[in-house]
Amino acid sequence: MKGRYVLLILAALALFSAGAQQKEIRVLLANHPYGDLLKTAIPEYEKATGVKVNVESLQESQLTTKLTTEFATRSSTVDVFMTRPLQEGKMFYKNGWYEPLTGYDFSDYPKNALDVATFGNKAYIVPLVTEWEVLYYRIDLFKKAGLAVPTNFTELEAAAKKLNSAEVAGFASRGKGAAAVTQLSSYVYNYGGTYLDKGKAAFDSREALEAIRFYGKMLANYGPAGVTNMSWENIMPLFQAGKVAMWTDASVFYGQIIDPAKSQVPAENVGIANFPAGPKGNTPFIVVSWGMAVAKQSKNKALAMDFIKWATSQSLAKRGMLANITMARNSVWKDPEVRAKINPGLISTQEYAAKYGVPYDRPYMSAVGEARDLIGEVIIESINTAGASTKLDALAKEKSAAVNALLEDTGEYGVY
Amino acid sequence: MRTSWIKKGLFVVVLLAIVVPLLFPFLWMLASSFKTQVDIVAWPPRLIFTPTLQNYERVFREQNFLRYFINSSIIGISAVGLSLLMGLPAAYSIARFKQKRLSIFILIARLMPGISFLMPWYIIFSRLKLMDSYVALILSHMLITLPIIVWIMSSYFESIPVEMEESAMVDGATRQRAFLAVVLPVAGPGIVTAVTLSFIFSWNNFMFSQVLSMEKTKTLPIAIYNFVSYAEVDWGAVMAAAVAIMAPAIILTMVFQKYVVRGLTMGAVKG
Amino acid sequence: MESTKIRGSVLEKNLHIIFPMPAVVFVVVMMLFPVLYTFFLSFTNWNLTSGAPPSIVMLRSYQRILREPRFLAALGRTFSFTALAVSVETLFGTIVALILNREFKGKGFIKLMMLLPLVSTPVAIGIAWNLFYDPTIGLANFVLIQLGLPKMAWTGSPSTVIPSLALVDIWQWTPMIALILLSGLASLSSEPYESARVDGASEWQIFWKITLPMLMPTMLTALILRSIDALKTFDIIYAMTGGGPGYSSETLNIMAFKYSFEYFRMGQASVILVFLFLVVLFMSLLIVRMRRSLEL
Repeated sequence: MKGRYVLLILAALALFSAGAQQKEIRVLLANHPYGDLLKTAIPEYEKATGVKVNVESLQESQLTTKLTTEFATRSSTVDVFMTRPLQEGKMFYKNGWYEPLTGYDFSDYPKNALDVATFGNKAYIVPLVTEWEVLYYRIDLFKKAGLAVPTNFTELEAAAKKLNSAEVAGFASRGKGAAAVTQLSSYVYNYGGTYLDKGKAAFDSREALEAIRFYGKMLANYGPAGVTNMSWENIMPLFQAGKVAMWTDASVFYGQIIDPAKSQVPAENVGIANFPAGPKGNTPFIVVSWGMAVAKQSKNKALAMDFIKWATSQSLAKRGMLANITMARNSVWKDPEVRAKINPGLISTQEYAAKYGVPYDRPYMSAVGEARDLIGEVIIESINTAGASTKLDALAKEKSAAVNALLEDTGEYGVY
Repeated sequence: MRTSWIKKGLFVVVLLAIVVPLLFPFLWMLASSFKTQVDIVAWPPRLIFTPTLQNYERVFREQNFLRYFINSSIIGISAVGLSLLMGLPAAYSIARFKQKRLSIFILIARLMPGISFLMPWYIIFSRLKLMDSYVALILSHMLITLPIIVWIMSSYFESIPVEMEESAMVDGATRQRAFLAVVLPVAGPGIVTAVTLSFIFSWNNFMFSQVLSMEKTKTLPIAIYNFVSYAEVDWGAVMAAAVAIMAPAIILTMVFQKYVVRGLTMGAVKG
Repeated sequence: MESTKIRGSVLEKNLHIIFPMPAVVFVVVMMLFPVLYTFFLSFTNWNLTSGAPPSIVMLRSYQRILREPRFLAALGRTFSFTALAVSVETLFGTIVALILNREFKGKGFIKLMMLLPLVSTPVAIGIAWNLFYDPTIGLANFVLIQLGLPKMAWTGSPSTVIPSLALVDIWQWTPMIALILLSGLASLSSEPYESARVDGASEWQIFWKITLPMLMPTMLTALILRSIDALKTFDIIYAMTGGGPGYSSETLNIMAFKYSFEYFRMGQASVILVFLFLVVLFMSLLIVRMRRSLEL
C-alpha cells in the first residue's frame, strides 16, 4: 500500500519535472547576412517546437577564436554553429570538434560544395552560402573605349591598359598579402597551377609563379595606388567612387556596388561577367564560404540535428536568395520567383562556376592563416616589382618550404 | 612700436602653426561624419556639402552603439571604483612610509606591455568560463586604472603636510581614522585627476577588450574596429562612431582640463 | 569597546602592510603570476589548434623563433619605429614648449587643444587617419598634389609605412612631451637667469648654458617614458595596417598578438612575449635608475 503511494508520487514528480524542464540549445552565428536572417526567423522555430534557442552572433574572426578556445579547453556548451569550411574546417575536423551529420539529406547540394564538407566518407558541415570569383566592370567606360568584355587574360590586360588613366585605375584586385590569396587562386588555376598538390606546397611551380607574376604586373601597372595594403574593404569604395574600371573579386559584393545610396556609379553602368580564362582554361573558384555544423561536445544532439535541418532548409534558403544571399542549395537557383528577382549576370556566372569551378580558394590545411601570410609575401614581392622580380622564384621556394613545415607540424604533409 | 606689432603677428602665426595641425584631423572627422558615402569618396575632397544625420542614425539605431556605450561605461566605472578602493590606501602608505620599492613594483605594472598578461588571462579566463564576462573585463581594465591611481595619488598624498594627520592623532584618532577623516577630504583634486585619467585610459583600451570580450561585453573601441564588417564599409558611419566614442573623453578633458594636465605631466615632473 | 580599540591599534601598527595589501595582491595575481606562466609556456610547444596538451620542449621554441627572419625584422622594426617617433616628438615638443613658455592670452585654450590628441581613442584615430592616407580618395594625396608633389602610397607601401605610422604617433604624442617640458620649464628657478642677464648673456647663450642643462632631467625622463610606450604601440598599427603590407609594419607586439590569437601558437608566442618583456623591463630599470640618480 505504502509502496504504491511512493511510486505514484515519484511518477508524478517525474512527469512534473519533465514538463517544467525547458528544452534549450545554444547556437553561435556569424555577423553575416544569413546569420541575421536566421536571427529574425528563430522565433518562428521556437514557437513551432517549444525549444528555446540561445543565439549569439559574432564577427567572423571572433567566432573562430571563441569556438577554438571553447573546444580546445573543453569548456564548450555550444550545440550548433556557423563555420567557415575552408578556413577552419580541417583543423576542427582533425581535433574532432564536428559531429558527423548522418541522416541529413545532402542531395540538393552541388558536388564540389560537398567536397569540403566531407571527411572520409562522412559529411560534417552543411553548406550554406557560396561565393565565386567574377569580373566587375564599368559598362559605360567599356562603351566609350569601344571595348568588349574580356574573356581571357590577354584581353584583360589589353582592356586594363586602354582604360587606365590618371583618374581611373584600369584594373583592381586585392593586393594585401594574405587577403589577396583567395582572389589570386582563380588566376593560379587558370594558369594550370595550384596552392597545394597532394598535401605539399605547390605555389612555387612554374605555372603558379606565372600567375603570380601576371597578377603582380596587372596590379603594378594598372592598379590603384597603394594596392599592396588593399583588401576588398579598400577597393570597394574606390569602385563605388568610379575610380576603378575592372575589379576581380568574390560575387558577394555585387549588391553593395549597385546600391545607389553607397555608389556614385549608376547601377546600369555596373556589369558582372565570368572570370576571364587563362592559358589553361577557365576554372575560377566557387567555395562554400559559410556552413553550419553540430558540435561534438554538444549534450543535446537530437535537438541540435533538428535545429540544423530547419536552419538549412530549402524554404529558409529561398528567403536568403530573395535577400540577395547566394545560397548553396541547387534547387533555390531554379526557383522562378528567385530567378525573377536576381540579376541575370549573377545567375549565369554562378551556373558557370558551379559547373566548372574549383571548390578551394586558399591552401586547404589546418594552419591556413599562417600559410596565407606566407603566400602573401610572394604576392607583395610580385606587385612591388610589377612581376619582374628576380628573387621571386627563390622567395616562393623558401615560402613553400615554410608551408611544408607547417603541414608537417600538423601531420598533414603529403596526406590528401 | 611697429616691431612689436610684427612680433605679435608672428607669434600668432606660430601659434596657428601649432594649433591647426592638432585640430585638423578632428575637424575633418567631424565633417566626414555628416557626409554621405558619395560625398566622402568624392575627389577632389568636398569642403562644401549638404550635411546629413543619417550616419549617426545608423550608428545608434542599427548598430546598437548605445549598448556598447553602456558596456564601456560599466567596465570603466567599475574598474576605476575598485581601483580607488585598493589604490588610495596603497598610495597613502607609499607616501607616508616612503615605500619606494612598492611604488616601483606598481609602476612596473604601468610600464609592462599588456599583451604579456593578456595571453595567460585568455587561457585562464576561458578555463574558468569567464570569457565575455564583465568580471574578466573589469579585472583586466583594473590593471590599467590601478597603477595610474596609485601613481598619481602617492605623490598627491606626499604634498599634503603630515602635520594635518599628526594633530588629529594627537587628539586621539588612529592613523587609519586620520586618513579617512582628515587626509581624504583634502585629497579631492588629486582624486579627480586620478579618476579622470584612469577612466579615459580604460575607455580607450582596445587590446584587452579585443581578446576578452565578445558580443555581450563588447566595448566601443571594438565596436568601431568591427564596423568594417562583412562586405560593407561605410566611412560616414565609421566617422560618426569615432566622433561618438571620443566625445565623452574630450568632454571630460574640457571639464577637468587643469587636472588632466597635472596628471599627464606628473610622470616626469614632481610638483 | 576595549576590543575595538585593540583591533584599531593592531591595524595601526601594521598599517604599512595592511593598506597596500589589496593592491599588491591584485598586481601579483593579475601581473606577476601571468608573466611567470608566460615564461613557463615559452618552454613548451603548446599549440591550441593541435588539440594536444602542452609538452615541454625546453629551448626549442626559442631556437625556432630566433632563427625566424620575421622575428628579427620585427625586433629591429620595433626599435626603428620607436626611435623615429620619439626623436621627432622630443624635438617638436621642445620647440613647442619653448614657444609657449610665456604668458599670453589664450594659453589655456592652446593647452586644452594639446590635450585632445592625448585623450582620443587610438583605434578611432587610426581608422580616421586611414581615410586621410587613402592613396586615391584621401586628403593627404590631395594636399601633395596641390603642393605640386607626386602622390604617395603612405601606409600602402613597405618603404613608407613605418614613417606614415610614426607620423600618427607623432601627432598624438608630441603634445605630451610639450606639456611635460612646459611644466618642467615652469618649475625652473629664476636665479641663474637673473645673474646671467646681469652678466649680459644673449638669449641664445642662456638657452644653451642654462635652460637646456636644467631641463635635461625632465627631458630624459619624458623621453624614456615615451619610448616605453612607443615600443608597445599596438592600437594604431593594428587598426591601420594590421602589420602590413606583408609584414612591413609588424612590430613585436603585433607579431605576438598574431601568434597568440590568430595562429594559436601559444608556446612560440610566449617566446616573443619574453623578448618584448625583457626589452621593456630594461627600459623600465633605466628609468628607475635615472630617477634615483637624479633625485627626481
